[in-house]
Amino acid sequence: MRIPKLLQAVLVLAAVYFGFIILFDVVLDQVIPASLLAMYMFFTFAGVFMVFTFTDAGARELVAPIRSLVEDPSRRGLRNIVFVVLPLAAGWYSFDQMSPSFEAPVELRSIHPAPPSRLKAYGKNFDIINMNNPFRRLEKENPGEFRKLVQEGAAVYIQNCHFCHGDKLDGKGPYAEALNPVPANFQDVGTIAQLQESYLFWRIASGGPGLPKEAAPWISSMPVWKDFLSEEEIWKVILFLYDYTGQRPRSFGGGDHD
Amino acid sequence: MIRWLVVIAVIFFAGAAASAPADKARGAKIYIQRCLMCHGEDGDGGGPGAKRLNPPPRDFTEALYKFKTTGTDEPVPNDDDILRMIRDGMPGTAMPGWKDILSEQDIIDLVLYLKIFAEIEEEKPEEQIDYGTEIASSPESIAAGDKLFHEGERCSECHGRDGRGDAVKRLKDDSGARTWPRNLTKPWTYRVSTQPRDIYRRITTGITGTQMPSFADPKSKKKLSIEERWQVANYVASLAASGQPVRAENTVIKAARIVGALPAKPGDAAWDGAERTTFFLLPQIIAKPRFFTPSNDTITARALYNDDEIAFLIEWDDRTKSIPGDADAAKIAEPDMGPDAVAVQLPIEPADGSEKPYFIWGDATHPVNLWKWQSGTTKAPETVEVMTARGLGNVDKRANGGVSATGIYDNGIWRVIMKRARATADAGKDLQFREGEFIPIAFSAWDGSNGENDRSHTLTTWYWLQLKPEAGAKPLLAGILTALILAGLLIWWARTAKARPESGA
Repeated sequence: MRIPKLLQAVLVLAAVYFGFIILFDVVLDQVIPASLLAMYMFFTFAGVFMVFTFTDAGARELVAPIRSLVEDPSRRGLRNIVFVVLPLAAGWYSFDQMSPSFEAPVELRSIHPAPPSRLKAYGKNFDIINMNNPFRRLEKENPGEFRKLVQEGAAVYIQNCHFCHGDKLDGKGPYAEALNPVPANFQDVGTIAQLQESYLFWRIASGGPGLPKEAAPWISSMPVWKDFLSEEEIWKVILFLYDYTGQRPRSFGGGDHD
Repeated sequence: MIRWLVVIAVIFFAGAAASAPADKARGAKIYIQRCLMCHGEDGDGGGPGAKRLNPPPRDFTEALYKFKTTGTDEPVPNDDDILRMIRDGMPGTAMPGWKDILSEQDIIDLVLYLKIFAEIEEEKPEEQIDYGTEIASSPESIAAGDKLFHEGERCSECHGRDGRGDAVKRLKDDSGARTWPRNLTKPWTYRVSTQPRDIYRRITTGITGTQMPSFADPKSKKKLSIEERWQVANYVASLAASGQPVRAENTVIKAARIVGALPAKPGDAAWDGAERTTFFLLPQIIAKPRFFTPSNDTITARALYNDDEIAFLIEWDDRTKSIPGDADAAKIAEPDMGPDAVAVQLPIEPADGSEKPYFIWGDATHPVNLWKWQSGTTKAPETVEVMTARGLGNVDKRANGGVSATGIYDNGIWRVIMKRARATADAGKDLQFREGEFIPIAFSAWDGSNGENDRSHTLTTWYWLQLKPEAGAKPLLAGILTALILAGLLIWWARTAKARPESGA
C-alpha cells in the first residue's frame, strides 16, 4: 500500500523530531534546549517542504488530502470539527503566550570565555597565551618529585576546592546545590581537557570577579584565589586536577607535551 | 544506547561474578588514592582536609561507625554496613557515594583495609539487629509514634517538640567534640536514609560514639518495645516528609497581590495566599575570612504586596534562640554569642539586561540594598537597619530606612516579617518595586550561637522576586481574536473553494 504524500511528510518530520530528542537526551545525555530544537525543526520543515513540492504533481498530491477535506461535501462532518478545533487551539496558544509568565529570565553565559592576554598577580605580569605550568616538565624529568607536587596539590584542593567541586572532582561538592551557576565538573571531557594549564591559572587566580562580562562575573561563586593561595600552590593544584581525573591539558603546538 | 548495553551486561554478569576475597594491598592502594586526603594516612581522620570539615572525617582506628546493623551490644558493624556507607555516601556530610568510581570489589577491598586500622579484621560480629515484624506506616501508627516521641520527652528532649533539633542542652561525642541533634524535618541530612527501616535501626542501636542512646536497652527508663520502635520510626519518617524541600526549578519568589493591609504577624492566615520558595544556603567560603562551620542550610521566603507596600515572611530553622546576655542561651551557645540575624539583598537598580551586582554585597558600580534584622539582646529590642553596600568593605547604614521588621522564634524556627513601601522618595538609594519585573533577590542569615557574625554567615546566590501582576483582559482578548480570525479565514477558504468549478481533481 502506498502511503499518502501528506502522511509521508508528517512521518518524516516526526521521525526527525524524535530523532533529535533521542540523540540528545538519551545518547548524548544532554537535554536539547527548546530554542535549538525549534531552529532545527524550522530547517527540517523547510527542507521537507521543498522536496515534497519540487514538482507540480508532487505539490498537488501533498495538498490533495487537505483540499478534499475543505472541498469534498461528503467529508463535511470532519471538516466542521477541524474548523472548530483549529481556531480554539490557536486562541488558547495566544492566550497562554500573552498571560504573565513566572518563568525566570534565561541568563546566557559563556562558560569558558576568551582570557585576557595578560594577568596581573603576585606583583608580576603573566603572559596567559604563552606561559606553561613550570612544574609540568618534571613529569618526565623527575617523576618522584612530580608525584610529591601532585600530592601537595591534592592537599590544596581538599582544603579549598572540594566544598564546591567535590571529593571526586565531579562538581558535586557538599555546597554545590546552593550554587548557580553550578561548579565545574573536572571529570567531564568538556572542561579542563579542553583548556590549557595557563587558562586554568587565570581562572583560578582571578576567580569569578575576574571574568569578562559575557561570563556573568556577578553570579560566579569562584573565589579570587590569588588572595588565598601562592603562585606555586595554584600550579600544583592544577597538576592535581589533571592527575586525578586522568585528563591531559590542551596544548597548541610548540609545547613540550601533547 | 551504550548505557542500556552496560545495564544489560551488568545484569547478565552480576549473578555470575561472585566477589573475590578482600585484598588488603588493593584496598591500601585505593585508600591512598581516594580516602587519605580526609581520613589521613593512619586512618585517624587527620588528613590535610580534616580541619575544615564539618562534621569531621571518621577516625577508623576507633572502629566507631555511625551506621551498623549488628546488635546493640555488638561494637563492630557488618562488612556490608561499611560497604554501604562507602558506596552510597553519608548525606549531610562531605562523604560522597563512590559507586560511580569504585567497583563493588574495590569497596570490599577497602572495607578490609579500614578494619585493619582498628585491628578488627578478624572479628565476626554475631548478634544482628532484631527487626521483629515491620509495622507499615499509617495515621494510627504515626499518632502512636508521636505520643511515644514526646512521652516524658523521650526524643523531644534533644530533637525538639517539632523535631527541628532545637537544643536545650549541649551534646558532645566520645572525643569531646560538639554535636548537634538531627533536625528531623530535613531529610537530606539523615546520614543513611529516611526509610522507616533505617530509622528503626538507629533507634534500636543508638549512634555509637554519640549521646544518641539505644532505645532497645533493657536498662533504659525510656526503653521501647519492637512495636513501639516501629511506631516512632514511622512518626520520624513523617517528620522528614513535613519539612520544606528545596526544588531546584523554583528560582522565583512569586509575590501575591492582596487587597487591604498586609499582615503584621507571621502567623496571619493571609500568608497562606503566598507560595513558599525554599533555597539552599551556603557558608560564606568565598571572601576573607572564609567560614566553614555553618549550622543552617536552607531559608524559605514568601511575599505579599498591595498598592502601596510589600512584605516578606522569611523562615529558617535555627536550633538556638540567641539572646546575648541571657544565661540559658549562653549555656548552649558557642563563646561570644551574638544575636541571630537575617538580611534581604536587593539591587538598587533592577536588573540591567542580565547584568547584576556581585552576589555578595554588590560592587562599586552596582550597589545593593540590604535589609538586616537582628534579634536583639536581653537589654535591647530587635532592630532593623537598611544598608547600601558597594562590596563587603563599603557599607553605608541608615537607622531609619523605611523598613519595619519583627520576628518570632518558635520551637526551632525563626519567622521574620519585613515590610516597606513599594516606592520611596529616593530611587537612587532604594529599589522601587514595580509589578511584573523580575527583581534579583538574595538572602543572608546569621546564627549568633554558632559564632556567626559579620562576614561569618550563610548566604544564597541571586534568585528572583516577581510581583505577580494581574493578568487583566488582554490575554483573553488576544485569544478570542486569534480564534475568530483563524475561523474566518478557514470559512472564507471553504466558500471560495466551493465556488471554483475545477477543484476536487
